[in-house]
Amino acid sequence: MNNGPSVVTHNVRKVDGRKLVTGGAAFTDDIHLPGVLYGKILASPHAHARIKRIDARKARELEGVHAILTYKDVPRVPHTTAGQAWPEPSPYDTYLLDSKVRFVGDRVAAVAAESRAIAERALKLIEVEFEILPAVINMEQAMAPGAPVIHDEPESTKIYDASRNIAAHILREIGNVDEGFRQADFIFEHEYRTHRQQHAMLEPHVTISWLDPDGRLVIRSSTQVPYHCRRQVAMILQIPVSRVHVIKPRIGGGFGGKQEMLLEDISGALALATRRPVKMEYTREEECYMARSRHPQILRMKMGVKRDGTILASHMKVLATTGAYGSHANTVQGNTGSKVLPLYRAPHMRFECDVVYTNAPVAGAFRGYGCPQGFFAQETLVDEIAHKLGIDPVEFHRKNVIRLGDVDRLSAQLGEGREGLPRVIRSCGLPECLDRAAKAIDWTRKRTALPERNGHIKHGVGMSCSMQGSGIAGIDWASAFLKMNEDGSFYLQVGASDVGAGADTVLSQIAAETLGVTLDRVIITSGDTDITPFDVGAYASSTTIISGGAVKKAAEKVRAQVLDLAARMLDVPAADLDCANNEVFSPRRPGKRLSIADVAMFAMYKEKLQIMDGASHFNTDSPPPFCATFAEVEVDTQTGQVRVLHLATAVDPGVAINPMQAEGQVEGAVTQGMGFALTEELLLDEAGRPRNANFLDYKIFSAKDMPKLTTILVTTEEPLGPYGAKSISEVPINGPAPAIANAIYHATGVRIRKLPMRPEDILRALHDKQMQPGEEAVLV
Amino acid sequence: MFEGVEEFHRPANVREALELLQRGKGRARIVAGCTDVIVENDSSIRTLIDITHAGLNYVRRRGACWSIGAASTMADLEDSAEIRSLAGGLLARAAATCGSVQVRNMATVGGNMANGSPAADLATPLLALDATAVLAEVGASGQSKRKMPLAEYLAVARSRALANSLLVEITFAVPTAGTHSGWSFVKFGRTAVDISVVNVAAGLQLDSHRHVKWARIALGSVAPLPVRMPKAEALMAGRAIDHGLLAEVCASVMREVHPIGDVRASAEYRRELSRVLTGRALEECAANAGCSL
Amino acid sequence: MKTMELRLTVNRQARLWNVAPGEILLNVLRREGYFGVKRGCETGECGACTVLFNGKPINSCLMFAAQAEGAEILTIEGMAQDEHLHEIQEAFLDHGAVQCGFCTPGMILSAKALLDKNPHPTEAEVREALAGHLCRCTGYLKPVQAVLAVEVKS
Repeated sequence: MNNGPSVVTHNVRKVDGRKLVTGGAAFTDDIHLPGVLYGKILASPHAHARIKRIDARKARELEGVHAILTYKDVPRVPHTTAGQAWPEPSPYDTYLLDSKVRFVGDRVAAVAAESRAIAERALKLIEVEFEILPAVINMEQAMAPGAPVIHDEPESTKIYDASRNIAAHILREIGNVDEGFRQADFIFEHEYRTHRQQHAMLEPHVTISWLDPDGRLVIRSSTQVPYHCRRQVAMILQIPVSRVHVIKPRIGGGFGGKQEMLLEDISGALALATRRPVKMEYTREEECYMARSRHPQILRMKMGVKRDGTILASHMKVLATTGAYGSHANTVQGNTGSKVLPLYRAPHMRFECDVVYTNAPVAGAFRGYGCPQGFFAQETLVDEIAHKLGIDPVEFHRKNVIRLGDVDRLSAQLGEGREGLPRVIRSCGLPECLDRAAKAIDWTRKRTALPERNGHIKHGVGMSCSMQGSGIAGIDWASAFLKMNEDGSFYLQVGASDVGAGADTVLSQIAAETLGVTLDRVIITSGDTDITPFDVGAYASSTTIISGGAVKKAAEKVRAQVLDLAARMLDVPAADLDCANNEVFSPRRPGKRLSIADVAMFAMYKEKLQIMDGASHFNTDSPPPFCATFAEVEVDTQTGQVRVLHLATAVDPGVAINPMQAEGQVEGAVTQGMGFALTEELLLDEAGRPRNANFLDYKIFSAKDMPKLTTILVTTEEPLGPYGAKSISEVPINGPAPAIANAIYHATGVRIRKLPMRPEDILRALHDKQMQPGEEAVLV
Repeated sequence: MFEGVEEFHRPANVREALELLQRGKGRARIVAGCTDVIVENDSSIRTLIDITHAGLNYVRRRGACWSIGAASTMADLEDSAEIRSLAGGLLARAAATCGSVQVRNMATVGGNMANGSPAADLATPLLALDATAVLAEVGASGQSKRKMPLAEYLAVARSRALANSLLVEITFAVPTAGTHSGWSFVKFGRTAVDISVVNVAAGLQLDSHRHVKWARIALGSVAPLPVRMPKAEALMAGRAIDHGLLAEVCASVMREVHPIGDVRASAEYRRELSRVLTGRALEECAANAGCSL
Repeated sequence: MKTMELRLTVNRQARLWNVAPGEILLNVLRREGYFGVKRGCETGECGACTVLFNGKPINSCLMFAAQAEGAEILTIEGMAQDEHLHEIQEAFLDHGAVQCGFCTPGMILSAKALLDKNPHPTEAEVREALAGHLCRCTGYLKPVQAVLAVEVKS
């Protein structure tokens, strides 16, 4: 019989690929709804202000305007917009519409009108009198005595200390770092800074809401979290969950920016107010500052090591800002500690963090979820330590990184906002990742060959390691349902959200493999709260392992039903039957075989039985994928410009269910990682207004900016994942920033500790180095 | 966006375009590629006059004198064998940096000038070529043509003074080509497809003793408009070309520019780039002139 | 709102539409059901709205609809012939070049324009052709490989 799987681990074409390459009407905005209205938000021009008076009379009189909503027209229900399982750990500090605005871009009012142009005109007719309040934009000033209090409203809850603008506070320790530092031979400590990165997904946030003929609120939305949206919208609009129906069509990218209830509540409110369909779509400009972005952080990283390079203690202290609202405030930053520090086997670790409010665009979930910031700090410090001790960085990593069989105790302290579960490493391909990626970049030769001393172009290589998680232990869960059709095909219904990464395909592969059918026999429907069973949604790298786990369980149950029926049809014990390639057969009795379609027809028309079943699944652990990233760069020392020549990434995702899609995930993630490292930053002025809310000045890599990419998949077998799978979609984004920073150091002797590493920053650091030779130039 | 526009016209010739412009009473706008006009989103426009079919898409040469129709696209310039052959391919090279393929298929020479931006990538090399802007106007005596140095045109491109004028052509003469002359265009962007942070267009000619007969240096994005560097150019005349001269010239350029700091770069960095990129451009010119430094 | 008639050819079919003089081509195309033409930025930076205009890739968000009078436009919907996908579409699927698919229609059209003009492009030429298509999912590698694979076959 077959050796090896026949569907999983194969590079099958995406099951939704055909409609994507033909421009099929598959995305949220690809429908014409009769009578649809256009919704728009009146955005605050002020970073911090109270609405003293708001008068929408003139706007309401404008022909074509159907509804205007202000805080006076809607219920006041504190909530978080974060797409998280209930009870969400994020502060409940947000209101559908409020009488106070807390950042430039915050909601003042909302309009529904017959055209975009009329809606825009109506916004201008809304009269608002603001009492402008002092604002705090800089996170380092947010906790200072006398700083303006951003959340002074009594109804908000789960804020750590609103009077000091602290949304969240985290402190966790294993062992005793003070003792660890005492035992260390050397102590290294530096400060690192990271910035606001945009998701910049090609499809902006878009939502269309309407009332169906039964009066239920239908929300068709570009979301990663249809079920969380349903629950949150129901709560905010004060209607039962059963009266809300959320549909997730094809999504044009999310990356965490759509792990958020962003337009669903307001478009739902407008649909209820107008009794008409209401479409709301962010312009690219609005997307830049009225959506979400990566939490900026200031990280103080301290490590104590022995002379031989063993890390004894690591202490990370973070100041982060969540912007004006606390969406994902404690969980992103929790990850900065819990997923980063335990990469190393130090017995003493301490993580402390304050996440403060500022009157700035709201931060949220973004691929990597706190890890890119943390790994930038840690992996750059580690490179410095290795250099100072005269140890090759790859050897330094081999010596210190977590290993198969280890227990990560820091994770036990930092779950999704509450006590987590200890993490056991049951699969670990990091050593092989290091070997293969180092080889791909030609590490040893390029590391020891002296960087080019002639001319102004210098070359260097650098590396980093990272890990992530696969689902949130004890919290992420999913379910799947399968039912059989008479032609031997199956409808697979999953709550999981394919946001473009290929979840529908991977889950179909798992179902097909488990059922013993070819991929074309599985037809998948996903992300529709009326039709598909629950799934927390696409985040935390959970879809393959958790949703896939549910699919596998459901398929096993359905397969058992098929075999039971076939057993009766063939008069053979079910235990002697197998199912593969659309056939049921007996390995030991060659004559006994049936097509799956035969079984289906028998079930439906003889037994009058629908073969169907479902299952739910969660894990109590979150097995990390591992990643080793190696970068080769070229630095023009006259302009400071950095060109990445080659980026080699080796990832251990467990077993890749679809290796081609998995590679695609790596390639996309590292491209975002390079943007994070070199060119992307959302800039604000002193009044908190965005300065570059467009693609002209928010620079993301194009096809012409790309280095040579080498992607290596290292296979391990993870017991907790379906067919051995873990995850892959986030971890590679962590590697490029530190690998590139370390390569720049190798090339030029200049350490950059602030992102992004723009040419003029590097040039300034090079000039500073020239002025003080022998002293290391740093840019902080 | 443009809901206030009441009329759209696509005149078949310049005369019609001018008539429509006059009738528009200040609320008519000449458009071609629209890559700037649409982004700018001026809601006061009531009439659009599309000149892409008015016979202004051409590249002509009479002796040493070249004329480029204002509606010629960047892609036209890139693809034109004649444009690629003149002045070391300077204009074709600059045109090739004006955004993506899609933008270059639409953006026109005229639009690039009329937009009046300091970062207009084609303006810098055209200034180095001492180009002239040719405008068509309607006056008391009917239609007429007016010529002005490109530098002067760029300064008034967006002003009311030209409200009833239509930029129809850019002309220039290439200084005696032949041995010992070389040209260069250098552009610095944050990524491969970008608006210029700084750009430089340069050309020079050497005599048989490696002395500079003439030099032209123009920079973009370092002043309110693209500019020539007369002081730096004067420094070069008659001097032997070597690294010492280049260092002097680049230092002079650094003093002549007055860049602003903005979201793309600080003034200080632009100043430094002016120095470095001018040096690289001049080195390339010298190499193209047969003299490697 | 005054409208004007617009006569053009879209995907080899003659069309007669009523458009407002200031309407943008992207919006008119989507209004007329060509959902494969995407709205990503409306400022000509991302390329998701790309169509072929008389064979040349342009950003439909930067053209007034009226400017398309008499033109031949190809959108992604015109690439496949009935059941049969175009070679480029097949290549994109085979090479894993499609993830979320939002940038895909534009990329495929630009690839077609490139290959029509230059059947054997170098990798640099392919990257130049795709440089006006921002993609956040793929890192561009597989789309480039897909286009290069097409030229090898043909």
